[in-house]
This record gives sequence, structure tokens and C-alpha cells, in this order.
Amino acid sequence: MTRSRLVLIAAMTVVGVGVIAGVGALWMNPARASVGPLAGEALILPKDSRFVMGFDVKRFTSSPFYERFASRDGLKPEALSQLEEKTGLNPYRDIDEIVIAGSPGGRKGAPGLAVAFGRFDLYKLGRSLETDGKATGTSHEGLTVYAFGDGDRDLKRGGLAVAFLDQSALVFGAKDQVLAAVSSRVRNETPLKDNTALMALVEKVRPGSTFWMVGDQSLLSSLPTSVPAPGASADGAATMTLPALTGLTVTGDLDPQVSLAITGEARDALAAKNLADVVRGLVAMASLQAQQKPELQQLASAISIATEENRVLVSARIPYEMLEALQPKKARAAEATSPKPHISR
Amino acid sequence: MRDTSRPLAFGPAARAVFDLSLDGMVFSRRSLLMALLVAAPVAFAVLYRVLSITHGTLPLGPSDLYALMIAIYWVRNVLPLAALFYATSLIADEVEGRTLTYLLTRPLTRASIFAGKFAAYLATTFTLALPAAVVTFFVLMTAPSAPALGPAAGDLLRDLGVMLLALVAYGALFGLLGVFLKRPVIPGLLFLYGWELLANLPGYLPRLTLTAWLRSLIRHRPAEEGISGLFQQVLPSDQSLAVLLVVSLALLGAAAWIFSRREYVLEQ
Repeated sequence: MTRSRLVLIAAMTVVGVGVIAGVGALWMNPARASVGPLAGEALILPKDSRFVMGFDVKRFTSSPFYERFASRDGLKPEALSQLEEKTGLNPYRDIDEIVIAGSPGGRKGAPGLAVAFGRFDLYKLGRSLETDGKATGTSHEGLTVYAFGDGDRDLKRGGLAVAFLDQSALVFGAKDQVLAAVSSRVRNETPLKDNTALMALVEKVRPGSTFWMVGDQSLLSSLPTSVPAPGASADGAATMTLPALTGLTVTGDLDPQVSLAITGEARDALAAKNLADVVRGLVAMASLQAQQKPELQQLASAISIATEENRVLVSARIPYEMLEALQPKKARAAEATSPKPHISR
Repeated sequence: MRDTSRPLAFGPAARAVFDLSLDGMVFSRRSLLMALLVAAPVAFAVLYRVLSITHGTLPLGPSDLYALMIAIYWVRNVLPLAALFYATSLIADEVEGRTLTYLLTRPLTRASIFAGKFAAYLATTFTLALPAAVVTFFVLMTAPSAPALGPAAGDLLRDLGVMLLALVAYGALFGLLGVFLKRPVIPGLLFLYGWELLANLPGYLPRLTLTAWLRSLIRHRPAEEGISGLFQQVLPSDQSLAVLLVVSLALLGAAAWIFSRREYVLEQ
């Protein structure tokens, strides 16, 4: 055997061992392979979801956006606030990423079902939840589900619950949905993957974004179908009909500036063109206000609109200086005086 | 007894050229340099693990670093460069060393010579790149702060496939440049760092590049600055695979055809 063949065989052995180990890990791990930016573990979310959104908490907290606007109310997703309130977890310290699926106008108080990834001390958290009387733990398919409020008796009634899938993942939301997700996990099922329309949208999302969201046709049916035409009177007599969207994808990053990419899918190329024209009109109207507010002119030039086949692509890159300039003066003054919250890590 | 009036069959001839070329390619100064370049992420990964032990949590997660290595370091930069330096010299080295005559006077078809040399190029670059990717993956993804290994392993298999495809596609292109041009390296570099930037523009222009199709096949999308971050398009995976395979086959066919017909005049 020649030396070069020996090198070739050695290299292929390394690759072969690596591939076997990888396939083994994939096979042994109950988690499924990811779909776009959606981690495999999150595929236990319900099949009938109308939107899915992801939030990279780590990227968010290390972004200049967090540094500047951390003290603002409403900065935290509702699911994170509830999780913090109910479990005592510090989302910014303990959670790396959160994925939420649900339907708009779903159950009151439950914004959807969330799967959070991070590092959880199961013993400490379980003990704290039960001893503080915040929640009642019950075993479901071998995992402990902590039900808040009325406890185990009302487990089927739809209060909130949390279940720790392992040391790195938890599921949080309405009790019945949490139970269903736990069952899916134990049975190695992936209900969300069966929602082919939503999965097709998720696959197209650029992984690595700080936040992303996809919504299907049913989510978008609740959007207004018309907007007042420019120069229309207050009675709303003159309106423009908006072409219907069949899918919506939003991705965004916060470093080094706020960048947003919104992709709306229309029925056909003509509808996409019409929709793009409506958006361009709105941006143009904003720039017309520039005399009163010069920042609006900058904002309008930071947004670009394009169409590609049946898709409308809206991109925005907004520097933080512009964001601050767009805020009301009062808010800016309050921002300058309020102390930044301390985050223990 | 073989009919000596006819050239050797394509398969055995290509294999003979492959055996002959492999030693020269694997044990060369070019391979030493490329090995250092291609395997550098292994060193980065080890350094990352050491730093994560000594400094605690680092600003970049292990999966983010791995994504950077795959998408930016290997697929966008180093593998195309490796393809450029190896594939352009498949025939050019023989011409420069005035040894092409020895090959062309053997009872081998020119297509089999090109095929054998291209196979040797692929074997050499696979030997350099794939083990480096596997080792980097396991060093980084077994870090305590890394996500679960199981789901990520699916990406490893996909990444290895895309790396193979990158070496095949760029190798076919630069192989064609190598048989067509006398000095193919400069046009090759212009292609890599000029033409391929079209991948960052909006509209249909990215479809005219190889990198846009390749990066659409990998899941890792590290955040990019400027225009590339703004307009980066993800093309459909099935289309990407089909386009890359068809383009590679077409370029290889063209390269073999040109090599079969071209007359090489060796400088005395």
C-alpha cells in the first residue's frame, strides 16, 4: 500500500467514525433534527399552531439594543415575563432561546405554548416551585408537570403549567397543551412537523437571527383587508384594498443596528406587486412628514421594498441613533435618568 | 492479451492516472500549506475549549463558532481556494514540468487522464477537509455550553455533503480554467472575490454564482454585515442541489472535451 493510500484511508476512517458517532447521537437522542432555525426539541409544539416565533435570548442580551433599552416596559416577550413570574427563573441568565407557537386570539392569559432552552437545575427549581406553594407537581408520562393556580385537580381545565423535559429544555403554557407536548416528547412524536404550511415557511427562515416569526394564511386572515387611500376623508369613504397574504416571515437582528427582513407571500406576482406598491406608498407618506419630523426622512430611506415572483421583501436597517431620535422627547429624558437594571449572571 | 493498437479502457486508465497522481498531490508542499489552512479550525476549536475553561462563558457560543467555520471559513473561502490551487494545476503542472508528453504518449484517452487527475484532486482535498470538519464539530459541540449533540449531528452530515459538493463544483470550474487558460489563477481569484460577491445582491443575480447555491444548502447562517446581511437569499434546497450537480457535470464535460482537443506546445 502506498503512503498516499494510507493517508487517504486514515482520513476516511476519521470521517467514518465521526459520521457513525453523529448518526448514533442522532439515533439515540430523542430530539429530532432541526427545521431551519427551529430546534428539533421544539417540534413537540402543537400541530394546529398558526404562528411560530423564536427569540434568541443570548443574542438579545448581548446586543446594543438591550444595553440601550433594557429598562423599557414591554421589551420582554409575554411568555418570558410569565415564565419568570411563575417559576422564578431569570430568563436573561438561565435561558438561551425560546420558541413560541400558538394562535392569535387563543386562550386568554396563555400566549401560546413555549419551549425554552437553557440550563435548568431541576432539583432546585422543582423544590422551589413546590415548597413556595406556587405550583403542584404531578407525574405525567414519567416527567413532572408543575401546574400553577388550582393545582392538579384542574389540570385539564386550562391553567398554566411548566414541565422540564431535561436539564436544557422546558415547556411552558396552558396545562392541557403542556401535557400534550410532554406526551409527544415521550412518544418521540413531532406534531408541529405535520403542519406542512408552517414548516415550509420555517424552513425558509435564516437561522442565526435574534428573532424570527412565521405565520400562515389563517393567521393573516385577521389582518385588515383595506387601508384608507391617501387624501381620503375621515369617514373612510375612499379605501385601497390590500392583496391577501398567504404567508408572512419576519426575521431580525439587533447587532450592530436593528435590521428587519419581512417577507410576505401573496397569491401571485401581480398581487405581490400591488402590495409592494401599497407599502412603498406608506413609506413615501412617512417621508412627506419629514418637514415636521426630519427623522422620518431618514427612516424612510432606511427601508427598502422589493418583489420577487409572488413575494414582497421589505428590509429595514435602522441605526440606534435614528431609533433614539424617533422616540418622544419625554421618553428620552426619562431614559437618561432611569438606572439600568442589574442582571445577575 | 490486450489489443495494443487501441487505448486502454476508460476505467482502468483513469485509475492508473489516479494512482500516479495521488502520491504527487498528497505529499507536496501545496498540500502542506493547504493542510494548515484547511485544518486551522481544529486549532481554533481546541483554543475555544481551553478559553472556555479558563475564562468561563465566551461571547460566541460553540455552535455559532462552528457555523462560522462551516459557512464563512470553509464553504465561502478555504475550500474554493483549495479547489483553485489544486484544480487549476491538474494539467498546468504537467505542462510546466514538461511531463505532459509522457502522459499523452501512453495508450490512454485524454478524457481518462483528466478524470484520473480530477479524482486524485478530490481524494486529496477530501482527505484534508473532511476530517478537519469532523474533528472541529466534535471538539466544539461537546463543550458544556453547546446544544444537544443529537440534533446537531444531522447538520454535520449535511455540512460534510455540502463541503464535498463545494470541492466538486469549484474543482470542475477551476479544472476547466486550468485546461483552457495558460495562467488560470488570477482569473480564478477574480471569480472568487469578484464575481461571487454577486451572491449578496438582491434579485436573480445570486443565481449566477456557485456560492449562493452552496450556502443555501447549509443551515448555518452567521449574521453578516452590510449588503450581504441585508439581501442574503436562501434558494430552494432541491434546486440548489440540482443546479450544482448539473453545473459540475457540464463544467467537467467541457474541461474533458477541451483537454481532449487542445494541442499543447511545451516550451523548450
